[in-house]
Order: sequence, then structure tokens, then C-alpha cells
Amino acid sequence: MTINLTVNGRDRAFECEPHESLRVVLRREGFFSVRFGAETGETGAAAVLLDGRLVSSEVLLAAQADGHRIETLEGMNPPRGLHPIQEAFVAAGAIQSGYSTPAMILAAKALLDSNPNPTESDVRDALSGILDRETGYLRPVHAVLRAAAMLRGEKVAPIEPAFIEPLVDDEGDPHFEGTIPPLDLPELAPKVVPSSDVPETQVVGKPERKVDAIKLAKGNPAFVDDIEMRGMLYAKMLYSPHAHARIVRIDDSKARALPGVHAVLHHENVARVRYASGGQSYPNPLPYDQVSFDNKVRHVGDRVAAVAAESIEIAEEAVRLIEVDYEVLPAVFDENEAISGTAPVIHDEPDMEGAHDAARNIVQHIDAEVGDIAAGLAAADHVFERTFRVHQVQQAPIEPHIAISWLDADERLVIRTSTQVPFHVRRMVSPLLGLPVRQIRIIKPRIGGGFGVKQEMLIEDIVGHLTLVTGRPVRLELNRQEEFVSSRTRHPQTITFTTGVMSDGTLVAQRMRTVGNTGPYGTHALTVQMVSGLRGLSSYNCPNKKFDCDVAYTNVPVAGAYRGYGAPQALFALESHMEDVASALGMDVLEFRRKNWTKVGDPLDVAAELGEGAAEMKFIPVVTSSGMDECVAQGRRAVEWHRRYDPEWVSPSDRPHIRRGLGFAMCMHGSAISGLDMGGASLKINDDGSFNLLMGATDLGTGADTILAQIAAEVLGVSIEDIIVYAADTDMTPFDVGAYASSTTYVSGMAVKKAADDVHRQIVERAALMLDIDSPREIVLRDRAAHAIDGRSVGLDEVALHSLHQDNQHQIMATASYVAPDSPPPYAAQFAEIEVDVETGQVTVHSLVMAVDCGVPINPMTSAGQVEGGMIQALGYGHCEEMAFDEEGRMVNARFGPYKLYRSDEMPRIEAYMVQTMEKSGPFGAKAVAEIPKDGVAPAIRNAILNATGVAIDDIPFTPERVWRALQAGGVS
Amino acid sequence: MRTISRYHRPATLNEAVDLLARDGVTSIVVGGGTVVNATEDTSETEVVDVQVVCADAIEEVDDRVIIGAMTRLQNLVDHPVVPPLLRELAHREGPNTLRNAATVGGTVASGDPDSELLAGLLVHEATVDIEHRAGSNGVSLGALLSDPGALQGGIITSISVALGGTTASARTGRTPADVPIVAAVGRVTGEGMRLALTGVALTPIVVTYDSLDSLKPPADFRGTSDYRRTLARTLVTRVLDQLGGAA
Repeated sequence: MTINLTVNGRDRAFECEPHESLRVVLRREGFFSVRFGAETGETGAAAVLLDGRLVSSEVLLAAQADGHRIETLEGMNPPRGLHPIQEAFVAAGAIQSGYSTPAMILAAKALLDSNPNPTESDVRDALSGILDRETGYLRPVHAVLRAAAMLRGEKVAPIEPAFIEPLVDDEGDPHFEGTIPPLDLPELAPKVVPSSDVPETQVVGKPERKVDAIKLAKGNPAFVDDIEMRGMLYAKMLYSPHAHARIVRIDDSKARALPGVHAVLHHENVARVRYASGGQSYPNPLPYDQVSFDNKVRHVGDRVAAVAAESIEIAEEAVRLIEVDYEVLPAVFDENEAISGTAPVIHDEPDMEGAHDAARNIVQHIDAEVGDIAAGLAAADHVFERTFRVHQVQQAPIEPHIAISWLDADERLVIRTSTQVPFHVRRMVSPLLGLPVRQIRIIKPRIGGGFGVKQEMLIEDIVGHLTLVTGRPVRLELNRQEEFVSSRTRHPQTITFTTGVMSDGTLVAQRMRTVGNTGPYGTHALTVQMVSGLRGLSSYNCPNKKFDCDVAYTNVPVAGAYRGYGAPQALFALESHMEDVASALGMDVLEFRRKNWTKVGDPLDVAAELGEGAAEMKFIPVVTSSGMDECVAQGRRAVEWHRRYDPEWVSPSDRPHIRRGLGFAMCMHGSAISGLDMGGASLKINDDGSFNLLMGATDLGTGADTILAQIAAEVLGVSIEDIIVYAADTDMTPFDVGAYASSTTYVSGMAVKKAADDVHRQIVERAALMLDIDSPREIVLRDRAAHAIDGRSVGLDEVALHSLHQDNQHQIMATASYVAPDSPPPYAAQFAEIEVDVETGQVTVHSLVMAVDCGVPINPMTSAGQVEGGMIQALGYGHCEEMAFDEEGRMVNARFGPYKLYRSDEMPRIEAYMVQTMEKSGPFGAKAVAEIPKDGVAPAIRNAILNATGVAIDDIPFTPERVWRALQAGGVS
Repeated sequence: MRTISRYHRPATLNEAVDLLARDGVTSIVVGGGTVVNATEDTSETEVVDVQVVCADAIEEVDDRVIIGAMTRLQNLVDHPVVPPLLRELAHREGPNTLRNAATVGGTVASGDPDSELLAGLLVHEATVDIEHRAGSNGVSLGALLSDPGALQGGIITSISVALGGTTASARTGRTPADVPIVAAVGRVTGEGMRLALTGVALTPIVVTYDSLDSLKPPADFRGTSDYRRTLARTLVTRVLDQLGGAA
């Protein structure tokens, strides 16, 4: 059928099918700013203006829009530069991955067109239809308010960091007694508590704009799906409807006979090559328990077959035509039941490699001990034990997994994919496809969030197989339901802490027993649980420690990497337990922790047993920097911690069914996998004195490309605009392990710094030649020039032209790589303010405050964004998100409404502080920041509920019925 | 999304109901599209888009407000003659992208058991005008929700609600903007009290305080039947407390 639309002011006629959504038609016509988030429309990534109203084009038939006026972001874009709303988003640091930024900017336009002077509440409502998994909404909301001011013609001040006076002295003691009022600072100003030993810098430490800001703010084609390939085939998957079953017959004849179908793949026609799908360094950790297609399925949503056809609709029809007979087998979902010895065996195939005890569904067993746990517990004045359960959640990036593959002119396989680990993917997909690595190129363009779920070789083998079979480009995109059940999730765990403590509060023994649930495949099973043990037993000093862990195979969807990587699970249990121990001892909950937490100079002894790299190197890392005391002091002030001791505040007399509480959790993370993670970078100078920076590092929207450019710019004495970044293309850039383990700033940053140092050396040598100076060391680079101490200088453009064209020609360039010998821990203090309705169990979170010691933040704006957004993901983990299943193992809430993500109009107040420390092993003093915000929110809420009601709840999320039942059991109502 | 084989945009109501009445053709009505197009049901159907034949208009007539079936929820939120409770509950139906597309008629047709707006319409004594091939008829919202077959082959053209009264509401959800597990609304007029609940039956229902013990709420992962029954009593009590003076 033909429809007539007025798109961005221009009358257009489009052909479409009756079933096609407006999003599909607009994208086909090249409006790439309109992006897929969920077929049910909840994400808002595909929002457009329909007659001036913001609607989701995912659930609007194109035919319904016939005769109407449509606006997309493309219609707002000036030919060069930015619209004021776009400008405000860039300046405010409101853009992370940028995937949903076009929708947010359109929402802002719709609001400001009708209301030029909106309140914050108006803005939050205007953005309520666009789910944001990245920013925590703070910066987008205030970007709209800033844009409103700009459009009203008001002058807006540049956004600068707010530097805050430290609150603790050299001994770590606070200058105040807990009742000073919180600061009133501009919402957008990154809050930085400076450290006196941090050197002055020109680019590092500044809130520079993201290097990819223009394309993201304008919705330019930048993501995997934003390309057009002639002859493209569309792939769809057939997934298992059973949690555990054997495929006894598969008949693809009807599917193959369907016109437009080009390939059908399944276990009978694809080579059986064992692998582990986790994107990790060579050799990938065992077990190798997956194949591209198996004759057995082990969870609802497991792979059965793949189809490539000339349209998505044909592919979907072909999937329906594949006949499969299953022998349904008993299934097991609980990790403790799975390893009991009586559960069905999930991996009974003879060729699987590397499970600890497949007959008992134990994929991994980890046993690590420091000191003598038995003796320590025996010597303790008091021994406390408590068991906690953490549940299964999904990373839920708004852009789901998507990959497009094709054969290039040399008939090499190119896979353009939304991945965090392009180099691992190339190596790992090679044996599955039977292609040497040299025949494969992986390209990571912009990606719409990852959070660990894309640290996986998840769908690249599928598109690769289909392209090799058909010779055609193939596109596979998971829909939202598939993303929930057929990608990866966070490991559920049962965790028991047993702690021996002396009467004065000194820890003497701590045992952590964990049973992890990896689902039916052991990807990341070992390392996630190792990190759980590492984080659970590293935060506090204790001479006797033991980590004892079994990882169970079950029939729930597969667990894998998720931002925090085992730490959020461990720290929920640890920080809940520490709260209880302090209370049982009658000690202040902060002082008890402070007495025991690791400080500068303390050994992180369990790391030698549990750290991947350190374990092999057998050395004991030592804490080299910590701002923990300052973090606590800043957080206490911001959250008005003293209120928790005020009975009138806890139990407001005018609301008898309400109890209020404040909770705390200490957080400690890592900055890469020491001795293992490696990053590489290349830098070369151009004729005009600018530089190409080529890196393997993978920016997920975190701002990694920007901070790495800042590091290079700082070394070379140029502005960030002089650094042209290209990253994460296996043909073009040096190797990097990718984006995980909080390694990008610390490891890739050092690689960039090393390359920049080398280029710096070459520049000053050339400048010395040009200026006829004997000692290049006397030359400094600043303001785009090389300056001699006698006042003479040459511009970097002159240096470049001289070296490239004029004399003793030489390309000034360098490549460097870096392996971290250490993993200095960032520290943080997480606070939560909540209220509990004791009659219904409803918990309302009113504020989250996190003060983080991430060393020297390279870019305070992007760092603040990481903390703010991370806290809100963590809030979902602790408060409302959960994967719920029926008795057959089918997820019953695999869409964004029932699987609850926080919206902009229901957010608690969030506040992030960055407490500087000078971490000498990091680039310009930096440590990691991206993962630690995930660690402390759940225990801080739990401890706040305890403060409010006196009831301790040991499993998450804190949904109303769970809390209500706990209150009932505790006699509170 | 359904497999939609044909799209119709009739110019008249008669044309629309004729389309729905065809033998051997499965047809569904689409208003805003937020429910019809978001379904996981992939069955084949034709759609009848009623954007031309149903009004997006709100009008006060005597002591009632007449709401055209195509009225977007956001227009309900914004319109000054709409009772305050309904404006608030329309706002709570979802985020702005949904409210800008979803219609009042579609909300009624959905019978969504969790819809606070439907509960609000129930206490505002809503009646629903339905156009059939045989003519139009009015039916109370409560009757329509308990017998959705009354909509078979018909098109909702408008909803009429009573004005006046004192209202209150209470809810429990996972987060402030979450779809409530259970919600209670109440309205007191000179003629008496009306209470309605969401989350305790297959659709929102009118209840009395004395009938709460007989509820048999369907359970889901957000709340067991027992818990929902407890919530119902707690929330109704709160609504009654808020209405205490008026009652």
C-alpha cells in the first residue's frame, strides 16, 4: 500500500505493508535516528513526533500515520553544528551511548515548543517515555532545562566541576560531628573533592565534550544497523520452548521450500565445534560446553536453528515451518537443588570439556584460603553466620544484540557487530566457522550499551555461518524477548558468610560459601564467581579467610558478564552481614567497618588466590591509594546521616504506616585484571599537527574514546579536538582485550599514554632539529607547539610538515601496549534513603548518594555520568528488576513493562561525588570508575530498611510482597 | 505483533461496522495502536482504524462529561472539564509516549485488570456507547467489563462519566510509576459511595467493603492471591479514611 506522510516538512509517499510499523518504514527510508528498542514500544528509542506529539513508532502502524505530519531528529539537524537542544545535551554530559539520544532530543523539542519555561517535573514527564539504561536521567533532565534557558535567550554558564573542601584530616577523622548541612551545588556540576598531590593538567581532569558527541547528538548513522547492504538477508532463530529436552527429529524441508529462504542451519548441518562463548583472553577458561547448534536444548530460549531469508517476515515464517520433535527431560532451576546429586544431569554429552563434575551439575569448584579459617573461627569471641540469596536479572541494553556480516571484495568475512570484545570475537569465531583469523574482520561501531552482556561471542557465529553458506550479507537482531531469554544475565547466587570477630570489633576469620547459578552453560562461570570471592573477601582486613564455591548448571537462561561481574552479589551479602555483625556487637555500623576496611599499605592477600592474573603471578597486591574515609564523610553530609538516629524522623507521627531509614554500604572494586588485561594504541601525526589515535579499546558509551583522547592530548600539548579517534576494528587498530573488568581507563589509558610519550619524544627530537637545539629534553609541548626554553617555538603543524615532507622524512608515530601489573581498587561509600510502608511492604527510595574514590577522574563529567547511571542500574537490581519464571522455566515478564526499569519521572534524588586520590600506577592518577556504582545500592537499601523497621531482609529485590512478608514475620505492621 | 493482512480506514461508522461484520474475516479495531500492535499474538487479522470515525473530543453535557473514543489519554490529562481523579489516573496509565497515542476507547476495550483509569471510570459511573450494525446502544462500563462479548462486532464511540463527588485513591507498586499490584479508588456523592479495585480480578471491578473477603485475585510474580487480598483491604481502608469526611 502507499502512504503519504509529511516528514520533516516534506511531503513524501512511501510503499509499505499493512503490518509494518512506522519505525520500519522510516528506517528503510534512511531516517536512522529512529531506533529499535522493543517491539512492544516501551523503550521510546523509536520515538518520533506525530502531529507534534511524542509517540513510539514501534507500535504505530505506518498505515496509521498516513496523512499525518512526522518529525524525526533529522529534521532538527542544522547542516553544520548543533541545535541548541543538542548543544545542551552535549554540554551537560547527557549523552552516553547516544542510542536513545535522538528520541530524548525530540521529546525536549515537543515540550519546549509548547512550554518554553518548564519545571523539572515537566521535563521528567516529557522524558518518561524514553527508557535510559545509562545516565540515570539526571543529565538529560537538566540538559533540557538548560536548553530551555538557551532558547529563551538567557545566558547559560559553562559547566565546570564544583571543587569541594575535604572533610577529613590526614588521620581520616572527620572535621565535623555529623550534623552540618548538605551542600547546595548546581545539579550538572561534577562534584570533585581534590587531592593536593595531583599535578596541574591542561586537558586531563577537565569536563571535555565527548569526541563522538556530534554524531550522537544528531542521530547520524553510527550504529550497527545504520548501514544499507545490497542483497541483505535477514536471519531469525528458532529457540527451544523447553527448559531441557533432546531433539529427536528436526525436519527443515518445509522451511527450505519456502520462497525467499536461502539457508536453514541446525545441528545436522553445522560442524560440531566445542567452545566457551565468554569473550575472554586466550585460552578461554573452561568449560567448553557449547556448540553452534546441539541436539539437546538446555533452557527455554536455547538455540535450535537459524534461517536466512529475503525478509524478516519470510524468515519468521520459515522458523515456524521447521518441525522439531523433542524428548522433554526433567529440568532443574535452583542452584542448590541442581548440585544435590539427585537432579537431572544437564551435560551428559561425551565430548564436553572441562566441567568440574558434570554428573552432579557442578561446572566449577573454587577453594581458596588465606591463613587458617578453622583456627580463626575457633579463636573468635563471637561467630556470626547468615545466608543471602541474590536473583537473576538482565543487562537490558536498549540496543539489543545485532550483527551484520558480509564478504568483502577479497572474500574475507566482515562482521559488524555490537560487541564489547571485537578481538576476542575474531579469535573465538574462527574455529567455529572453519576460517583462519586472517580471513575475518570484526568492526565495532557505536553500540547502544553493553553492561557486560556483549562481552560474549553470542550471535557472530550465526551470521558468519549464514554468510558463508549463502555468500550474501546477513543481518541478525535479537528482539526484546530474545534478548531477555537467549542472551546473557547476571548469575544468581546463594551466599553464606561466617564471620569470627573479637569483642572489640576486630575481624579474625571470614568464610564465604557460594553456590552460583550459571544456567546451562559455563560462560564466565569461573571468573564471575572468582570475582565474587575476591570482592567478598578483599574489602576488609582479616587474617583468616576462606572462599568455597560451587557453580551449578541449571536450566534457567544463561548467566554471564554483567557490569560489576560478581561483585554486586558478593557485596550485597557482605555489606548486609557486616551491618548485622556491627549491630550485634553494639557498635556503630560505620566505625565497625572503618576499623576493618583495607587501607593504604594493607595487603589484598586473597587476590593472590582468586585474581585471574595475580593468581598466576603469585604476588600479593597492596592498597596504594584510598579515599574511603573522605568518601564516607562526604556521603554522610550529603545524606544527612544523623537523621537515622532520630526516632521522630524514622517514625513520622503524621504518617503512622511509614518508617524511614538511611543505609550505608562500603564498596571496593578493581581496575582491570592484573597481569592479564592488555590494551594497545597507535598514534600518528598528520600534516596539520593533529593526530590519529587508533585503539583497540571499546567505547560502550562510557566515554572511553574521549578520556583516552584526553590522555593523548595532555601528553602532546594539544586540545582534544586535535585527536581523531578510531577504535575497535580488528583490521585497523591494535589489539585490546575490550571493554570489561574496569580496564579501559587504567589499562588502555596507559597504552595510550605510552604511545603518546613515544610520539612526544619524536616531536621534541624533530623540533630540536628544526630549532638547532642539542637537548630535546629542554623542549616542552603546549598549545599545539614545541617550545624551547629560550622562547622560540615551532608549531606542531610545522613539525609535521618538516618530518613528513622536508628533511630526513619520517612518519612520527608510535604503537604501544600495556599490561597492568596491578589492579588498584577504587573505593566508594554508598548511601540510601528510603521509606517503607509497613502495611503494604512498598519501599520507596528517596535518594542515593555515592562518593567514589576513582583516583583522578580523567573527565569528571563522564565519570559522574558513570556513577549516576550505574547507581540507577543498581537500584533496579536491588529494588524492582527480576526475571520471573513459571514452573516450566519460561520467563513470564520478558518485556520492559513487567520487567521494571526506572523511568525519568519516578527517580530518587541521585548525587555523585568524586574523591580524588593520586594513584601513581594509573594514567595521570586514574583508577576505574564504571563498575563500582553497581556494588552498593542493594545492601544500602537493605540496611536502610533495617534502620527503618528493625527487619533484616536477606534476598533481593525488595519488592512489596517480599518486604511485607518479612515485616509480618518480624512482627512489624 | 499480529500478522496484519489488510489495513482499513473507514470514513463512516457504518462502513466501519460493516468491515467488522464480514463473514470469514477476522478484523480488529485499532485506535492508538499501543495495545493491538504491541501484542505477542502473531495470528493473522485485518485492522479497522477508527481514527476518522471516532472523535478525539471532550464535552460537558449537563452533569456528565462525554469523552470521544479516540480521545488520547494525554488529552484526558489536560482537559479542564475532566474530573480530577480521572485526569490523575489517565496520567498514571503510562509514560507520555503511551499517553500521546493510547485512546480512552482502546483502554476500555482492553479491560486491562491493572488499569487505574478503568477503576476511576467505574467509580465515575461510566457508560459506554457502542455502535453495532444493528444500531448503537449504551452499556455501563461495569457490565461491559464483565461481558466483553457485548463489544463483539461493535465499535466504542464514546464514554460518558458522571461529574461531581469527592474522590480518593491508593495504590501499591514496585516503584512510584509502576503499574500497581493493587489499586483502590473511591468516590462519594450524595447518592452514596462507589469503590473499585484493580489487580484483584480479570478486569477492574466495583467492590464494597463487605465484599472484600470474597475476592479471589489471580496471582502473578508481583503478588500472590493472598497478598493481593490483603492489599485490597488495606488500600480500600485508606481510601475510606481519605473519604471519611465526605462519606
